[in-house]
Amino acid sequence: MNRNRVPELLYLLNSWLTLSMQRQIKILAIDSKEIILKSIRKALNSDEKTEYIITTSGTSIEGLKLIRNDIYDLVLLDLAMPGINGIEVLKRIKKFNYDIPIVMLSGYSSKSSYSDVISNGAENLLLKPFTTAELKSVVSNIFKADKSTG
Amino acid sequence: MSIPDKLKHINISTRISILLGLVIILTMGVFSTLSLIKQENDSIEIIKNNSNQLCATIEKILRFSMLENRRNEITKALKDIVGKEGIRTVRILNHEGLIKYSSKQSDINQQISQSNPRCTGCHDNKDNMLVSSTKNFVNYRIDKQKNLVYNFLPIYNAHSCYTSACHSSGEMSSSINLKPTNGLQTFHYHDSSQTVLGFIEIEVSTEKIASNLGHTRSQLILITIIIALLASILTYFSIRTLVGKPVKNLVEGTRRVAKGNLKQEIPPGKAELGELSHSFNLMQKQLLTTQSQLIESEKLASIGKLADEIAYEISNPLTGIIVFSENLSKDSGEDKIKDYKVIHTEALRIREIVRNILTITKRELLEFKDTNVNEVINHSISIVNKLSNFQNIQIVNRLQKSVPNISANSGLLDQVFLNLLLISSESMSNGGIINISTNYVKDNGELDIIFSDTGKGIPEEILQKLSASNNSAGLSNTERTGISLAVCKNIIEMHKGSFSIESKPGSGTSILIKLLVNS
Repeated sequence: MNRNRVPELLYLLNSWLTLSMQRQIKILAIDSKEIILKSIRKALNSDEKTEYIITTSGTSIEGLKLIRNDIYDLVLLDLAMPGINGIEVLKRIKKFNYDIPIVMLSGYSSKSSYSDVISNGAENLLLKPFTTAELKSVVSNIFKADKSTG
Repeated sequence: MSIPDKLKHINISTRISILLGLVIILTMGVFSTLSLIKQENDSIEIIKNNSNQLCATIEKILRFSMLENRRNEITKALKDIVGKEGIRTVRILNHEGLIKYSSKQSDINQQISQSNPRCTGCHDNKDNMLVSSTKNFVNYRIDKQKNLVYNFLPIYNAHSCYTSACHSSGEMSSSINLKPTNGLQTFHYHDSSQTVLGFIEIEVSTEKIASNLGHTRSQLILITIIIALLASILTYFSIRTLVGKPVKNLVEGTRRVAKGNLKQEIPPGKAELGELSHSFNLMQKQLLTTQSQLIESEKLASIGKLADEIAYEISNPLTGIIVFSENLSKDSGEDKIKDYKVIHTEALRIREIVRNILTITKRELLEFKDTNVNEVINHSISIVNKLSNFQNIQIVNRLQKSVPNISANSGLLDQVFLNLLLISSESMSNGGIINISTNYVKDNGELDIIFSDTGKGIPEEILQKLSASNNSAGLSNTERTGISLAVCKNIIEMHKGSFSIESKPGSGTSILIKLLVNS
């Protein structure tokens, strides 16, 4: 009886914390397309439960610089970056700090391979064009999992 | 260089016809020569027999004249015989070799030597002895240069010859002088101890036979040449029409194909070459089909590539449209919300259209190879095991030890299994068990793949929409599960397999995939 109740209680506590607390989550979005950066901002800023602090970068080099200078809870990274490509940026971030969760963004195309992205250490792959709900669900899934493991 | 090398350049019909002509000439030549020799021998044999009989007849006829010693009558008779059936000369010689009578006046009283073939036929050359065996007596002589056959017949002593009174005439005395007598004066003309008194000789000409044979020979040569020529010409033309023409057609056909013209067929022949031309035409047809398929697939490939590019480029602005219209529809007034929702719905529709196009073009471009499903499943499991949301989930792997390979695109199957695992994980945010099993059913050649979980299950409305059509445009709500399942179903159907879901909300989901095993 007791044994069954403990995880249940923990889960309830967790849910309560998620729902009630106004959390601040720092997100870095790296994408060469301005409209994607704007959309991410617009979609995540509409969230009432969580406060997202979003930093954006249009190039891989600038993105990598930002990561070195600040601490982020999540990185949204485009797969098809000009110059240093998305997979290469992913590898460099993971090398620098393995614990940062990264969600890759990619167009629905033959170029995007789920297993390629996951095997290089990304948490998930979000296919463009995405809806507000899809982006939110992917992001919140990351932190849900994060909480339950932590 | 050598002759055979030069011969190689002569075409086959000429070669075979020349060879056939030569063979005919050689065979007929040998055959005619042999038969001519036989004919000549036979003719001479006949002449020999005839003249032998003639000699005997002459002897019988003239016996009486000889007994009575009527010399003029004998000479006249001999002259009468000459000229008939090639008989040139008839002579009567005594045993000593003196020509007593002859149809030719100049021959009379000529003496022939002992070495003369007339004597050696019966006598040994040296001592005037008889040849040991009568079998070996030769009663003829052939002079091939003069075309003459000599035939001799001995005149044997008879009772009438040494007892006849006929020989007692005056002329007898001259004859007696030539005969060795033992001094006894008798009435006998011939000695009774003598066996052979003399011989009759007939000289027969074989000129006519020789000229006949010569005539036959030249006729045979002519016929041989004509037959050889006719056979060669016939062979030449028949080979040209039966072999040369179809071969020429084939050669022209291969040249045409080499130049890229695949539409013109070569005329069909018969027998072996006909079969060759038939299979050539078949090959050409298949080449044409392959070529057009190649062109078609190249076209599709470029269309697919273009579609891919477009989809990729569209994805960015479309994200903006979707996200911003969603935002506007939330914040705006009642009247505007409807309009923004239209924009949002249509933008989502564009997204589905693009995704569908890509799925179709991808299907045409996909490469299907022999694939081991167990390996693909293990790969998918190894990927999801790295994900943080699988930490509370236990994956039970119940794969059949050895499953046969199937023709599939491993990348796509991987996508299906990953999707199914992710869907399961999303329905089990508090942890659970995913069972994966494979089972090969030998009877119907199907490979069953079963995914089952202990999650929340899949909502009824998604299941209904999924079974209604494979068009995921209907699933325009934001549920990722629906879209993912539609994609999975689509991929399995691409592999000519079946995809079925059993799910009750709250009691887990079970997905059965059936794939056909290569025959």
